Amino acid sequence: MPSFSHFFQILNETKGVFLKAMLLTLELTVVSIILGIVIGLVFALLKISKIKILELISDIYVYLVRGTPLIVQIFILYFGISGIFLLPDFWAASIALALHNGAYISEILRGAIQSVDKGQFEAGRSLGMTKTLTLRRIILPQAFRRALPPLGNQFIISLKDSSLAAFISMNELFNVATTLGSNNFDEMTYLLIVAVYYLLLVALMTLIVNRVELRLAVSDR
Amino acid sequence: MLLKKKLFLVTSIIVVFFLSACAEKEKLDDGSELINKNQFVFAASGEFKPFSYINDDLTMSGFDIEVGEAIAKQMGLEPVQKRIKFKGIVEGVKTGRADAAVASHTINPQRSKHVSFSTPYYYSGPKIFTRPDSNIKTVEDLKGKEVAVAKGSTYADTASKYTDKIKTYDSDITALKALSSGRHDAVITDFVTGKTAEKEGFKIKGQQLINRSEQAIVLPQDNPNLLKRVNETLEQLRENGTLTRISIKYFDEDITKKPE
Repeated sequence: MPSFSHFFQILNETKGVFLKAMLLTLELTVVSIILGIVIGLVFALLKISKIKILELISDIYVYLVRGTPLIVQIFILYFGISGIFLLPDFWAASIALALHNGAYISEILRGAIQSVDKGQFEAGRSLGMTKTLTLRRIILPQAFRRALPPLGNQFIISLKDSSLAAFISMNELFNVATTLGSNNFDEMTYLLIVAVYYLLLVALMTLIVNRVELRLAVSDR
Repeated sequence: MLLKKKLFLVTSIIVVFFLSACAEKEKLDDGSELINKNQFVFAASGEFKPFSYINDDLTMSGFDIEVGEAIAKQMGLEPVQKRIKFKGIVEGVKTGRADAAVASHTINPQRSKHVSFSTPYYYSGPKIFTRPDSNIKTVEDLKGKEVAVAKGSTYADTASKYTDKIKTYDSDITALKALSSGRHDAVITDFVTGKTAEKEGFKIKGQQLINRSEQAIVLPQDNPNLLKRVNETLEQLRENGTLTRISIKYFDEDITKKPE
């Protein structure tokens, strides 16, 4: 294990390059979360649509994505389809992460939507709202609140999963740490440093999710 | 009370963990130390064809592997392969996860600070590889271009002299694969590796040979007797033609003799 002074010295010396890498990690995470929520919502709605063929499409998607490791999906997007067209590395990683997140988020949202009491839907309908309007105004807001804790969990997972972009040469946190570590024959120091950066990002993310949760809890008071 | 017990348990687990990390090696009559006194455990990445590559049964083959096995047999030991990702090999030898590494390590001053090198067992050099239609011919053309290299290789240093856009992969083959599929502008890697990939159908072309390099076996610094023994063995293998024979088998030429 490296000594404390050595650790802090390297931490200080490398902060420029790590902050840049942290920005890339953050970009990957944010883009993949936003795309993931959209994908997740679409497939969750397909799943609860009660139309057999749409349900099947959703099932197949979730099965394919949950059934294969993320690193395999990243490599398929990066190398596998390069014969057809060349996806830039940022998008290969972001889309793989988004598709991956989307599958889990769709299951989270589906569970949340189905947990909303059936009476809520019936009440909306009896007030003369259309099905879509009931879903949008009554069901989804309640479902989203219930989905928030598992969603926050998923966001943290996707932040850490973004480290897999290192394998397609993206200079995000993990790649920078392992490259510098092996160049300086000092892997452990750099891995400990990168752990600090991830902890910082997760703390930030937790803070945001908690804030949103508080905001949405207003109706409980 | 229960808390104390738990604390004790956790502490002992941590202690055991640290102790196992620095396991004692076995000492031989001539003063050299080995992980197991009947075995020569040598590390390679298995991702550097044709120097080391993985067979269907997950054992490794290749030039480095045959050299490692020849050394073990010459010393009267059982050869044992150990697969470690390239960038972790030096660390692995340092911490005693392998007795040595026969993994195409180029001798350089940074590595020499951490490990010992044997005499060179082959001579090679980094070469620029591009796609066939590229305008890059020499190192001067690399300025401002994106160059991909393997993590932990000396090629990253070489590349950084000419450009600041450097991308790192876990292996040279992955870097060449990315180049072949239209990514990056060039890859710097060993010329034999690039030539082999070219033969395997990668859409790449060799350009300038940047310089000559000497590849040697990596050994821990605290084991001078083993270093002496490995050097003696290499000399015997040079004299009896074993190294030349292995080289011809893989490259149709002798890369184990110092070029003029």
